[in-house]
Amino acid sequence: MTGRGTLYLTLTAATMAILAYGGLATAPQAQDKGPIIIGSSIPLTGGVSQFGQHSRWGAEMALAEANAAGGVLGRKLEIDFQDNRCNPAEAVKSVTLMLASKKYVAIHDGLCSSVVLAIMPLVERAGVPLVVANASATSIAEKSGVGGNKWTFKVNPTDASMLSALVGWLEKEGKASNIAYLGEDSDFGRAGSSGFEAALAKRNMKLVMVDYFQKGTADFTAVLTKIKARKPAQLALYAVDADFQNAIRQWYTMGGGVPLTGRVLVDQVPKEILESGFLDGTTSVQPYDPSVDTPANRAFVEKFRKTHDVPPILISFESYEATKVLIDAIRRAGSADPGAIRDALATTKLPSMLGTTIEFDANNLAHNYAVILTIKGGKVVVLGLSKT
Amino acid sequence: MDPSVLVQLLLNGIVIGVIYALVAMGLSLIFGVLEIVNFAHGEFYMLGAMLAYFLSTGWKIGYWPTIAMVTAVAVCLGFVLYEALLGSLQGEGFERSILLTLGLSMVLQNGAVYLFTTTPRMMLVGSTYSHVGVGDVRISVLRLFALALGIVAFAALYLILYRTRAGKAMRGVAQNRDAALMVGIDPRGVSRLAVAIGVGLSGLAGAALAPVYAVHPLMGAGFVFKAFAIIIIGGLGNISGAAIAAVALGVIESLVGGFLPLVLADALAFVSMIAILLLRPQGLFGRGVRV
Repeated sequence: MTGRGTLYLTLTAATMAILAYGGLATAPQAQDKGPIIIGSSIPLTGGVSQFGQHSRWGAEMALAEANAAGGVLGRKLEIDFQDNRCNPAEAVKSVTLMLASKKYVAIHDGLCSSVVLAIMPLVERAGVPLVVANASATSIAEKSGVGGNKWTFKVNPTDASMLSALVGWLEKEGKASNIAYLGEDSDFGRAGSSGFEAALAKRNMKLVMVDYFQKGTADFTAVLTKIKARKPAQLALYAVDADFQNAIRQWYTMGGGVPLTGRVLVDQVPKEILESGFLDGTTSVQPYDPSVDTPANRAFVEKFRKTHDVPPILISFESYEATKVLIDAIRRAGSADPGAIRDALATTKLPSMLGTTIEFDANNLAHNYAVILTIKGGKVVVLGLSKT
Repeated sequence: MDPSVLVQLLLNGIVIGVIYALVAMGLSLIFGVLEIVNFAHGEFYMLGAMLAYFLSTGWKIGYWPTIAMVTAVAVCLGFVLYEALLGSLQGEGFERSILLTLGLSMVLQNGAVYLFTTTPRMMLVGSTYSHVGVGDVRISVLRLFALALGIVAFAALYLILYRTRAGKAMRGVAQNRDAALMVGIDPRGVSRLAVAIGVGLSGLAGAALAPVYAVHPLMGAGFVFKAFAIIIIGGLGNISGAAIAAVALGVIESLVGGFLPLVLADALAFVSMIAILLLRPQGLFGRGVRV
């Protein structure tokens, strides 16, 4: 065979391969009988995998309910979970692969703020909606909707909106003037400090001290000594998982002497410390608490506990509601086309289990209630709900 | 400045330094005798803490018996590690040892994640929330126990190395393996003992710190990198150098973290390591004769 003949053959084969691949790749989206598939990139291993597990449980529960009711558009719903270890690089890899396969009608979650910020440009380029359930960084909403990224929708409140509600409450109690801040050195921790600073600046106040720690830090004694010496009225602690457990125990044994504030994981405070009354006066703002007394939440908590043997946490709640928002949008879109789903998401009006209605603003941000909690007499008490 | 703050920071630094030393001494001993960098060392620390947690929580065994049992199990594990893996590397390439111990570290860490999940566990003992203090200076009782255990472990290791035949043999093998063989020392037996003691120290550190820090499968990774920095600063294979570097680093980290942003304290160990590698590659206390 001549060189030119070989070239023609190669080109023909390559063209056929591209066409065949394109046909195969787009087939699931084009056909109307198979399941509607949602993609999700969450930490299933690594330091926050227990949160990833709760995210998965929440999403699966919402999907199971929809499928039990006959699915959507006459089709079953499925969700594929991929592990990102809360690592932006791994999330970019897994979401890129999901988007390239073109079989996913939307991407659900990401869980960690840094991860969501990393995958936002990907969904925008691919034209696939991203429904954020758990990541709380304010910059996600700032970059969405009129902020530029029309494909990202944030169902849970931002740190700024939650902290605005909390600082408003602290101000009423006369406790907003002398707060020290310690947070993990990540988008989560940085969003916490900037949220506090923004809310305090509106009242001509500021944080008396700000410091950050590396995720995975075991020993906090040096920084806690520094904080104790500054004698703040409250300490805003933005830590999760093992970091939170280490910090809280060391704060206790060092006799920190002041209550905590911010997004304190009050349900994860060791029982002995909680019951000692050491943290009495602590205030926390969270997007959710299982003790919120609404009929829908009571039913959710009961069903979740029955299925998984543990009560839901805010991650499972947020994931459940965000998935319901997405399912509702697919139903109203009347098709599994990502563009139609995005348009339907923008006009969402869905009741939340907390008693408000989920609607997105110009930044594609929903404004659900935040739950203000306190520790009183060694017990966690819900102070009330505040619109974010 | 309130002097009690300075005293508190110094005290915190000494305690954390001795904790670093517990992990670093075992790593240094293994490198000194076998010339193997054990990247799985942090995982033995983690396994020690895990075992302590389960003995204490599941079997309700007291704090001190738990420490003794975990240390004994870790020593046995060290023997097994040597016989099953490290023994075959004797005289082989340094690269192989790095790949092997790195692989072992990944297997142990991910195996622990699979078996126990990454959920942090809190080991509770009678004195978990107890402390002693004078004025504003306070320290938890369990940290004092860890401090005492670290000092006892260093003294015991020093006595073994300088007052026993086995210790002299270890030093002999570290200085010249062939010459040690010619005078009748069994390098294999000595290496086996060094690995057992090294892993035993790591297990002891894990058990001593299980009630101090949250126990989870990823807890060893952070510690072991700091321990590497310490043994490079102290002089590779030099146990006393590692102990002094560990305490010095603990104190300096505490002072830096107490007066400056905490991230600077985190970077300190590695900046010091790079500086030592550039200015004095044999380490602060490296004298050409190890262990």
